[in-house]
Amino acid sequence: MSDNQLKTQIKEMIVERLFLPVDPGEIEDDENLMESYEIDSVNLFEIVVGLEEEFEISVEDEDFSVDLFATIDSLAEYVEQKRG
Amino acid sequence: MWSRNAGDPVVTATEERLVTFNSGEQRLHGVLHLPQDDIRRALVFCHPFAEEKKCAHRTMVEAARGCAAAGCAVLRFDHRGCGDSAGSFGEFSLREWRMDIEAALDCAEAQTQSPVGLLGLRLGATLAAGVAESRPGVACLVLWEPIVNGARYIKQNLRRSMIKAMMTRHEGGEDSEGAASEAHALGEGTVDFDGYPVSEQMRQQMEDVDLLAGERDYTGPVLVLSLGARDEPHQALKDLANVYPRGTAIAVHQEPVWQRIGVIDADATVSTTVQWLSRLE
Repeated sequence: MSDNQLKTQIKEMIVERLFLPVDPGEIEDDENLMESYEIDSVNLFEIVVGLEEEFEISVEDEDFSVDLFATIDSLAEYVEQKRG
Repeated sequence: MWSRNAGDPVVTATEERLVTFNSGEQRLHGVLHLPQDDIRRALVFCHPFAEEKKCAHRTMVEAARGCAAAGCAVLRFDHRGCGDSAGSFGEFSLREWRMDIEAALDCAEAQTQSPVGLLGLRLGATLAAGVAESRPGVACLVLWEPIVNGARYIKQNLRRSMIKAMMTRHEGGEDSEGAASEAHALGEGTVDFDGYPVSEQMRQQMEDVDLLAGERDYTGPVLVLSLGARDEPHQALKDLANVYPRGTAIAVHQEPVWQRIGVIDADATVSTTVQWLSRLE
């Protein structure tokens, strides 16, 4: 899967799981998700579950940081790293 | 069939009666929602656990009114240690909460003189499934996003606490480092479950929950609703429905009403449930 495909898939997952009223394509790769979409702890939990279920990775407790969830870029980098 | 468009006024049952009944030595409080016309059937609603109960409260009220408007009486009640019922939250275990559901079934049967089924949300659905196994005569079983695996449920709740703590730190608030992983030991085996004291016994009983393990003896009709953004039910919920001889799994596009206060619109979930109930007649 290409980098762009992965980012598109992450955007689709976030929009779907958080019931966001935006088109996934409107989300910029380097946009701050928490500020732009008012993402809170409930949303972050959903994103973690989504990453694990849809990308078949395990998000470790020690990996949790605000920076990880900040942008599509950071999430895609994390997924790629976890997939090895 | 009950249906309501967004923005329409809520259809209310003609009568909502406060009821109290005993479960063992505990006095439990509930609300009985009665249809305007004849009672075709009745349901006991089994509420979710801890913070999820608080978030879903209004939705459960709306759902009860929706069911009553469709001819199905509903008894909503608070387990011991919850809401208006007697006791303290941290004192009890799942075994006692199952007893509460049985007492609520007795109350609903006496009050409505109708076949009574169980409807549960999240852990309430899991408990309802357990009661239906052991108690003869449960007319039907409606499971809204049941907890299938208790150990995973506990882990997810601890994670939720961890994420909250992370966000609090991020926003400059006070926080105890590693709050979730330490599980806030409160002494005597009691742990802090996202703000609720959970006894060691309760936690152990939750960890032991695995609805997919073993055979299911309940032979009545079962509706398993998978609530979320997906078009297909979660695999675990499909598997659960398949465990029952008369099980059906349906996906409903529904925001998780148990996660956030203020998300109360469960029209799709209620109408799917009411349609399924009407087909049982």
